[in-house]
Amino acid sequence: MSAPPSLDAESGMSMANFLVSSVHDMKNSLAVMANFLESALALAPDPSAPLYRQTSQALYENQRINDHLIQLLALYKIDQDFYPFDPQEQNLADLANDALSRVANLARSSGVTLEYECADDLYGWVDYELVLGVLVQALHNALRYTRDSVLCLIAANPRGGIRIRVEDNGPGFPDFLLREGSSRDCGVSFDTGGTGLGLYFAAVVAGLHRNGEHRGGTRLENGGRLGGGCFQLELP
Amino acid sequence: MKIHDLPRPDFSKKSFLVIEDYEGMRGILRDILGRAGTTRIDFASSGGGALAMLEKNRYDAVLCDLHLGHGKSGQQVLEEARQRRLVAPHAVWLMVSAEKTSEMVTGMAETRPDDYLVKPITETLLFTRLLRQMDKKKMLAPIEQAMRDHEYLKAMRLVGQLLAAPGPHTRELKRMEAELALLAGDPARARAVFEEALGQRDQPWARLGLARTLFQEGRFEEARQHLLDVTAGSRSYLDAHDWLARALETLGDLEGAQEALQRALSVSPHVASRQSSLGEVAARRGDLETAARAYRRCIELGLNSPHATAAPYLSLARIFLARDESGEAAKVIGRLASDMKEDDNAQFLARVMEIPIRLNSGGEKAARKLLEELAPTLRDDAHLLPPEMAFALAGPLMRLGDMETTDALFSSLLANHHEHPDYASRVRALYAEAGREEEGGKLVQEATRAALEIMDKGVRLSREGKLDEALSLLREARHKIPGNPRLLLNHAYLLISYMEQRGRDLHLVNEALDCIQSARARHTHDKRAGELLARLEQVRA
Repeated sequence: MSAPPSLDAESGMSMANFLVSSVHDMKNSLAVMANFLESALALAPDPSAPLYRQTSQALYENQRINDHLIQLLALYKIDQDFYPFDPQEQNLADLANDALSRVANLARSSGVTLEYECADDLYGWVDYELVLGVLVQALHNALRYTRDSVLCLIAANPRGGIRIRVEDNGPGFPDFLLREGSSRDCGVSFDTGGTGLGLYFAAVVAGLHRNGEHRGGTRLENGGRLGGGCFQLELP
Repeated sequence: MKIHDLPRPDFSKKSFLVIEDYEGMRGILRDILGRAGTTRIDFASSGGGALAMLEKNRYDAVLCDLHLGHGKSGQQVLEEARQRRLVAPHAVWLMVSAEKTSEMVTGMAETRPDDYLVKPITETLLFTRLLRQMDKKKMLAPIEQAMRDHEYLKAMRLVGQLLAAPGPHTRELKRMEAELALLAGDPARARAVFEEALGQRDQPWARLGLARTLFQEGRFEEARQHLLDVTAGSRSYLDAHDWLARALETLGDLEGAQEALQRALSVSPHVASRQSSLGEVAARRGDLETAARAYRRCIELGLNSPHATAAPYLSLARIFLARDESGEAAKVIGRLASDMKEDDNAQFLARVMEIPIRLNSGGEKAARKLLEELAPTLRDDAHLLPPEMAFALAGPLMRLGDMETTDALFSSLLANHHEHPDYASRVRALYAEAGREEEGGKLVQEATRAALEIMDKGVRLSREGKLDEALSLLREARHKIPGNPRLLLNHAYLLISYMEQRGRDLHLVNEALDCIQSARARHTHDKRAGELLARLEQVRA
């Protein structure tokens, strides 16, 4: 570890530097761990064995930590006014593929069918990394609670902009989450054991996306095509 | 739809360099690339090691972590590799980062990698991006080559051809077109691209671009407004802050300029040129504390850079002298002498700086002796001195009674900067203070006239068709006054006119390029340099 940075005009940033570089280190470690777990799953002979299920669970926990680190860091930077928010016109099928590929191994190992619908030539104005973060988190969440199927739907919004939905066929969201899921100031302690970080992050990301007077928003529902929980992100 | 089960690409004939300080990550990348049949992968764990590899080998793709621990950052490695032409035009450079950083939304084409990958790196992500970028680079290689040859018009023509057919890279090509137009001195064309983009959405890069075109056209107040818009939202649009500082400085708001630079440095402190700009602005405001800190950082950063110069050492020493801390100044100069052992000019400047240091610490005799030894070279090579160093030397030289060398320094300074808004008045004030008001006035007049006369005479001779004579006049002038941007551009203009009449000549093309590049290095934002480059490109054989 290097010597602590001296306190000077940039001292406000030295804490940020520690934070950022520790997160980088942790993410590297998680990536290596995930790689081991994925190799182990690929080599395991019997998907019904307890060891297989535990390894798969470990992979899920690993990716959850990763999501949270990304979100905490981005929220910190947004709060401190130095997140490089940079909406660009992006191909959304690429975004879907990128997001799904990050959870594909997990889905396979948990026996969940993972599909998406998005036109190949659909483009949307998004900050790629932020929206990817929201989408991956939503997919992880859906994989955790679904019975055996998760669907990601990306389409043009009839009211302008785009709509991204992640649907599953699990038991759906509890009522209190349905009430709070669409507000920006989500609470930070839910009975379910979640911290509300994911929803808060999604709401902040949605709010950053603007087009003239219009701002993005998030919403939780039950039902959808698969009859379970639905997470929705609308961007103008 | 299931996610595309991409057929694994065949990278068996491709060579890769992976620059990554974390061993675990090197393993992951090796595994993924191995699945595409790659056998030629080199690994480097530091920036220095990577550059050594890049010197020896030509790679098809480089995967580089942005954060490399100690030493050079990934960004510095990229810039140095590009600068030293260690990357082939078709080669793909992917920067790997743990998160989205300000580097990813900042910088001009030549300092940007082809793409960024945010960890965790999956096989799908890596293969998709590699394939897309390899495809793109293949398409853009002729444009890249034209840019390397400074043939911006040709590059723009090629971009235009690609834009005629809609494809996946339209946005990038548009952005490229605008950058090229700015390089070729055609801000109107660049502005059209930026305005079109802004018509779609408010996008920071396009607004920054618009501000740059306004700046080039001298519309500083409008440029300032746009830059304030871009920088208000976030500190992370780093180059927008640099441009804002530039605009504010030009508009006379030094305090605002300093604040803008400090905001950018609070996000990204590791950029030598930004630290040096902060040093200059802070010193001009009399904020010596901040200036000293900035120059110190600049020196530290120079240790990792191929562009290190003596300038920040000299500036820092100057600041210590102004604060009457001769001991500290001497330390800095000692460091300059040892850090830049190979550089004769730096060694010379370090010795020159010792004159005021010795004088200030009571060593008048030693100072006088040193001056006697250095004076002849100092008079001949006065243009090597950074302007502020000349001003700092004036007092000591006059105190030691060497008016001849003082006059030589300022004649050179003013001849090389005859258009500078306040050097002339500062020189006059300096001489007046020393009781030599009349001499000062005369010196200013003559030095400024020298540059103007050469240009007038050059123009006259070329109008009379005596291009040979005009050229030898400008060549001779360049020996005496090597750093005057206007003279350099005139020189290039003559060379181009000469070739337009008598045909293209490689030596003259190179001479003209050299003049234009030197002028551009001194006056970065002058569109005339670009206009001449464009004209030079059109000279036929």
